[in-house]
Amino acid sequence: MVDYEPRVVAMLCNYCAYSAADLAGVGRLQYPPNVRVVFYLCTGKVEIVHILKAFEAGADAVFVGG
Amino acid sequence: MIVAKRKPFKEIKESVSGANKILILGCGTCVAVCLAGGEKEVAILASQLRMALQLENQNVHIDELTIERQCDREFIEQINTSVNVDDYDLILSTACAAGVQLLSDVFDHKVVVPGLNTTFIGVAEGPGVWTERCRACSDCVLADTGGICPVTICAKGLLNGPCGGARNGKCEVDPEKDCAWVLIYNRLEKLGRLDKMKKIHAPKRYSVQEHPATIIHEAYKHRYTV
Repeated sequence: MVDYEPRVVAMLCNYCAYSAADLAGVGRLQYPPNVRVVFYLCTGKVEIVHILKAFEAGADAVFVGG
Repeated sequence: MIVAKRKPFKEIKESVSGANKILILGCGTCVAVCLAGGEKEVAILASQLRMALQLENQNVHIDELTIERQCDREFIEQINTSVNVDDYDLILSTACAAGVQLLSDVFDHKVVVPGLNTTFIGVAEGPGVWTERCRACSDCVLADTGGICPVTICAKGLLNGPCGGARNGKCEVDPEKDCAWVLIYNRLEKLGRLDKMKKIHAPKRYSVQEHPATIIHEAYKHRYTV
């Protein structure tokens, strides 16, 4: 379990979480490559099925930031 | 509209067991509006089923399709323009029970199972809330009751109410629910038609309720009668 690297799908809102991630990037802050960002214009648009599809595709966790 | 709710997942999973190729068929009318069996709900159910079956190492192929209406042959017959029904072992329908039955009639060589429990004829009260408004009694009394149905709303279905059990406008059967006849009285008072309260209704004409019922429009009778 020590080597367990969960694959995380991050669904991020353009106006807050994605901007924050962008800003972190500008500041040269690194985040682990096992986090895959999905850009949303607004996380209000996140549907249940989007989250289910992420799990179906093999994600271990879904992070919704909005 | 027809209001339905999804069956428990466990029941759905059991009903599709043994099938290797499944078509989940949604209906785009009533059950889509009540968030039970439209395109989105089909996608959610398909995703859940795929994951649940994969976890049991079952190699089951699941396709999704939603048609405009399953209670109309014209729409059902168009399914074959999108998919080949013969490719599937089983069709899981998320229509109301009427749709499920017509689907079974049209594809009578296929196993068709329901994904929903059809519940009532009702209205949308607000986002995500539906209430029953009609029991399809075939003998509407709304003209005399201020547009409030005692057959549906009154726990006892009384045509001449209220009974002696109303307390503070609530029903004695379920104090959480409004007394239909108090609602009717208040509505008739507002409409200036309280005289309607004095009308004695004869016992309900159950004889007009034909089961299973058939209606043939006057203009089409020549087609179906000899």
